[in-house]
Amino acid sequence: MKPAKILFILGAFLFFLGLMMLLPLAWSLAYGDPDVEAFAVSMFITCSSGGFLYFISRSPGETTLNHREGFFIVAAGWLLAGIVGSLPYLIHGVIPGFTDAFFESVSGFTTTGATILTGIDGLPHGILLWRSMTQWLGGMGIIILSIAILPLLGVGGMQLYKAEMPSPVKDKLTPRITETARTLWSVYVILSTAEFVLLLFGGLDPFEALCHTFCTMATGGFSTHDASIAYFHSPYVDGVITLFMIIAGVNFTLHHALLLGDFRSVLKNGELRFYLVLLLAGTLLVTFDLWKAVFDGLVESFRYALFQVVSIMTTTGFVTDNYANWPSLSRFILILLMFVGGSAGSTGGSIKCLRILLIFKHSSMELYRLVHPHAVSAVKLGKRIVYPETMASIWGFFILYLSMTVIATILLLLFGLDPLTAFSSVAATMGNVGPGFGLVNPSSTYADLPGPVKGILSFCMIAGRLEIYTILVLLTPEFWKK
Amino acid sequence: MRIIVIGAGEVGYNISDILSREGNDVVIIDRNEERLKEVAENIDVQTLQGSGSSPDILKKARLDQSDMIVAVTDSDETNIVACLLAAVQSRAILKIARIRNPDLNRDTKIFDRNHLGIDLCINPEREAVTSIISLMEFPGASEIIDFAEGRIKLAAFYVNGKCEALGKELRDVKNSWGAQDFLVASITRNGEPIVPTGKTVLQENDYLFVLSESQNVRNILRFFGKDMAPPQRVFIMGGGNTALMLSEALEKKGLLLKIVEKRQDRCDYLASVLDKAVILHGDGTSQDLLKEENIQDADYFIAVTNDEEANILGALLAKQLGARKAIALINRVDYTHLVPFVGIDAVMNPRQATISKILHFIRKGKIISATPLRDEKAEAVEFIALETSEITKKPLKNIKFPKGAIVGAILRNDKVRIPWGDSVIEPGDRVILFTLRSVIPQMEKFLTVKLDYFA
Repeated sequence: MKPAKILFILGAFLFFLGLMMLLPLAWSLAYGDPDVEAFAVSMFITCSSGGFLYFISRSPGETTLNHREGFFIVAAGWLLAGIVGSLPYLIHGVIPGFTDAFFESVSGFTTTGATILTGIDGLPHGILLWRSMTQWLGGMGIIILSIAILPLLGVGGMQLYKAEMPSPVKDKLTPRITETARTLWSVYVILSTAEFVLLLFGGLDPFEALCHTFCTMATGGFSTHDASIAYFHSPYVDGVITLFMIIAGVNFTLHHALLLGDFRSVLKNGELRFYLVLLLAGTLLVTFDLWKAVFDGLVESFRYALFQVVSIMTTTGFVTDNYANWPSLSRFILILLMFVGGSAGSTGGSIKCLRILLIFKHSSMELYRLVHPHAVSAVKLGKRIVYPETMASIWGFFILYLSMTVIATILLLLFGLDPLTAFSSVAATMGNVGPGFGLVNPSSTYADLPGPVKGILSFCMIAGRLEIYTILVLLTPEFWKK
Repeated sequence: MRIIVIGAGEVGYNISDILSREGNDVVIIDRNEERLKEVAENIDVQTLQGSGSSPDILKKARLDQSDMIVAVTDSDETNIVACLLAAVQSRAILKIARIRNPDLNRDTKIFDRNHLGIDLCINPEREAVTSIISLMEFPGASEIIDFAEGRIKLAAFYVNGKCEALGKELRDVKNSWGAQDFLVASITRNGEPIVPTGKTVLQENDYLFVLSESQNVRNILRFFGKDMAPPQRVFIMGGGNTALMLSEALEKKGLLLKIVEKRQDRCDYLASVLDKAVILHGDGTSQDLLKEENIQDADYFIAVTNDEEANILGALLAKQLGARKAIALINRVDYTHLVPFVGIDAVMNPRQATISKILHFIRKGKIISATPLRDEKAEAVEFIALETSEITKKPLKNIKFPKGAIVGAILRNDKVRIPWGDSVIEPGDRVILFTLRSVIPQMEKFLTVKLDYFA
């Protein structure tokens, strides 16, 4: 690992993050809010420290990165993003403690949407916009974004892309990594614009529409209201947001194919079908569970069930009704869906449909082999064979994900939390969902949890967002050996 | 440019790496998924698994939008079919195929633009043989590259103990030589290219690139302590196609050949094809055989079997037994660094020759010729300076060249000039420029005026 190269890239990255604070700064200036100073100072600190790193390590020659450097830069980049993202909260004073501010910031960038803030409705516009923006930036990957925008990364881009891209299969859409990154981001921007316009039609003011667009497309889940989406009491807004949550949970390469007019490969996509079937099945089960028990009408039950199932499975975390008060079956389904997540290559978090699908396929292949011991069989995805190494990596991920959930839950229990709160908060942060059950139910926040617990959960959020491996590999002694 | 490379072997990989670094969009097609994974991790290209001769795969690679197709798989047929499919798509796509089979290669006319539409057919073995033969005219050099129709030559060689210039600054070396008619264009030291200045001190095992008029090359090599006696007796280890091609060419030049080959039937065949060469049945790495056949009198020992490790060992053994020069055929670029340290005089590398030829060809539209130098980190470029170009009508020292580029020679009115700081390039001059690969994109920008001019 060459420090000059790493500092160079991280410096450029920090500078870039600082520039991103211009938008909330401009918004605050326009509204004359009291948080102008907070953003000006944060931006100054971020840009100057980034610029400093950039210049002391200026021109490292080649920017070819090896695997380790790739992992390190992505992990360090996300940690740094969490730290500088917390600056506006701290300087403004809306969140006084560092642990809390870091938690909120990480929850933003990782698109979790778990908050420690109450009384959100009264917060200054800049702060609210920054919260939503961190989600939007983190959704498609901040490192990927800097690859797309900053021309400083040449060949090394692939290592970073691999370490940040939330997908077991990392295909490039175009010959150049910067092109691929740019393509994915433009798809993201196009879809976001569409949602923004549709939300404006729903009667939201531009600020609310923008914030909610940011948080929907990123499957984040921060809202500008304590009551989340329930605040609007509008089936239209529910509908638009549901639709775009579903869209955001689909692999972005499919959106790209759609925009290019390639409908066939999209319709034939196994993961997309699986994702939609799961959504539908979950919705139907929850609808019938809610019918007569919580809501009187079937249509009403369906509306709330659909929104909540989509919101949880895509790991967004918006709420239209406090699901902690729903019947057991519904609650069980929701907690189960927290472990499913969106599609590979989407902005959704958690284990991802593709992995679950392949694990099912693999298991059923084993059954098939018992019946036909001499049969030649392979796990297939479309027309492509999934090689045993890929399969092993998926199983490895699955096991690591579950064991990390268990370990984190045990740690939380040691801090005296009740089992439901402990387990659901770990599931909700690892999966980047947001609200959980128990103490962290949708109408409550993470504010009352002990400080160390917030630290553990912040770690879970980053680990979950970077798909475990990128973070865990840094913790192995092997990684640091020469 | 959008380029499709078929075959992710050593040649395909290196070509893609170079082209991608220079800012082209490259798609690599190969059958082997594992290999593609490796490629995708190391270079910035798109990979596509499948057969390069399948129309479907080529369509997926967006052949219709591509400017060039380079087919370098192991299979001649696949390469040809891929180029033919591309030819059907469009005449405008530049098509390059590697064709190994000597039967197919004998008559390249049928493949050319007017017939089957392949722009360039390369036979790696033939390229390697050609380069070896031009090298043998200058026994002291490890590489010889022609410019300006052979009027200017670039000689590359290692500086070793016998050289008086060792430990001296380059300007002193030049003074002791007397005239201003050669230029040390580049030095490779420990595998890294450096751009020399007057103050650069020559060290043992430096690999020098020296540019001069052709008639001076011999004297210059002698000056640097190189042994220049013309060869007479050549010992060839291995009797495959490369050896046959090499033998045919050397026989024409009137050299005395001895060929050692293991297989009896191949020996019989060689004996029937070659008139004068002595065909020996046996192992080229056997000391007894080499001694018995007077290896100590051989001027050259050239090892060209398919086994590159055996080639290296054979060359070393021959050298130790008294052969004057030893050349080994090596396919892996990684091994070429070892050459000066183990005592082999030169290597022939068919893959590298292929890469050179392809690059040479690709650049041709823009400039007269370009030749990648050793380790592919530097290139020599020949072009015509135009009035609109930034480099004319100013003394060289006033031109802000990208760091790592140096003007090596100027050819004006059929006179070769080796430039120094005060030299001025006039429009119409043919200029030979040395440049590190890392600054080629900058260099191209620098010369853009000229490129536009042509278009």
